Amino acid sequence: MTRTAFALQTTPQVNEPELIARVLAGDRLAGRELYNAHAPRVFRLAYRLTGNAELAREFTQDTFVRAFQRLADFRGDAAFSTWIHRITITVVANAMRTVRRLRERQTDLSDLDALHPANATVRRLDPDLRERLGKAIDALPEIYRTTLIMHEMEGYTHTEIAEVLGVAEGTCKSRLSAARSQLRAALADFAKEYES
Amino acid sequence: MTDDVNDRFDELLLDATRAYHRPPDERALPLDEMWKSIEAQAFPRARRAPRYAQWLRIAAALVLGVGIGRFSFRVGRHEVPAVTTSQRIGAPATGDRSVAAPQQPIDPTTSRYLGQAAALLIALPTEASVGRPDQPFIKRANELLLTTRLLLDSQSAADPAMRNLLEDLELVLVQVVQLQKERDASRQTELELIQQALDQRDVIPRLRSAASEYAADD
Repeated sequence: MTRTAFALQTTPQVNEPELIARVLAGDRLAGRELYNAHAPRVFRLAYRLTGNAELAREFTQDTFVRAFQRLADFRGDAAFSTWIHRITITVVANAMRTVRRLRERQTDLSDLDALHPANATVRRLDPDLRERLGKAIDALPEIYRTTLIMHEMEGYTHTEIAEVLGVAEGTCKSRLSAARSQLRAALADFAKEYES
Repeated sequence: MTDDVNDRFDELLLDATRAYHRPPDERALPLDEMWKSIEAQAFPRARRAPRYAQWLRIAAALVLGVGIGRFSFRVGRHEVPAVTTSQRIGAPATGDRSVAAPQQPIDPTTSRYLGQAAALLIALPTEASVGRPDQPFIKRANELLLTTRLLLDSQSAADPAMRNLLEDLELVLVQVVQLQKERDASRQTELELIQQALDQRDVIPRLRSAASEYAADD
């Protein structure tokens, strides 16, 4: 099964317009049904973007609270899943700015060794590709990172990503390509080791 | 680096990328816990009902009993010979409370609905014993309430006796659905009131009887 097929198959098959109408009328059971249908994917995306279960949980909650509070604004032009994933991206991006600022303050001192040449040598000798790749992905510009995560890890199509992020499909493809190039560049020394 | 090595390196990168921030298994997601928080914020509870609403609910429960009794009494007096299921299979008649077939044929939806309503009300004591009905129970009551309202607008409600029964059941189901909004202490009181009304009027045996009669006539 392709990743795209997986993504489409996990898209819930429920009568969403009816559920949405019921939620707007104050029916919390309908709200739960809508939540059940979309929460797993929203959580997965939030987790991929944050790498932290607590944050993913908090952002999933925020996403749904906002979605239900603004449901009257949902016009149904796009799919509900597109709309709610757009909210997820916004919630995560906004909150992570604050989280990163806090983390930077906390790690400013502990990360000083990264600038030290001796430690840099140790780092270069570290063969753990995953760890290095993780850091390289973290260092990507937010728009590239989000596109990469949605496409390569969560199996969203370019069309879906373009809709969620509100950009053209071409933009989405070029962002993905740029993200890959940056990763390749960041791991160039590893590639040389791999070649040899 | 050759193209082949480039491709293999890209493949390796892609594999490693998928391991980045790999989410936990879907079955391990704290869906219920997250929902509690979402529900509390997105669906704030309605303002507490005024004191007289409590009395209205008690009255509604009593109306149910009266309604069921009236239904049994009226169908019992039909000119059409009252042939009960038990008589058809050769068993002795069940006495005053036996429910005869209605004048109009009952469709399968109504018959099924009566059985489901009986099943739900039978489960009520179990719910009461643990202090609260759970979400699936309330959901079921909600679905039956919807069916009741649909039946009230259908040909099934053309029979006045059936209409009375449906109207009375609608009131009880509304009460059951409303239980989810009650605080724990009030919820227990509400459950006991519904249960008392059901017991005093033998509602469930009569409902069961009616359901089986309709099923037999169908």
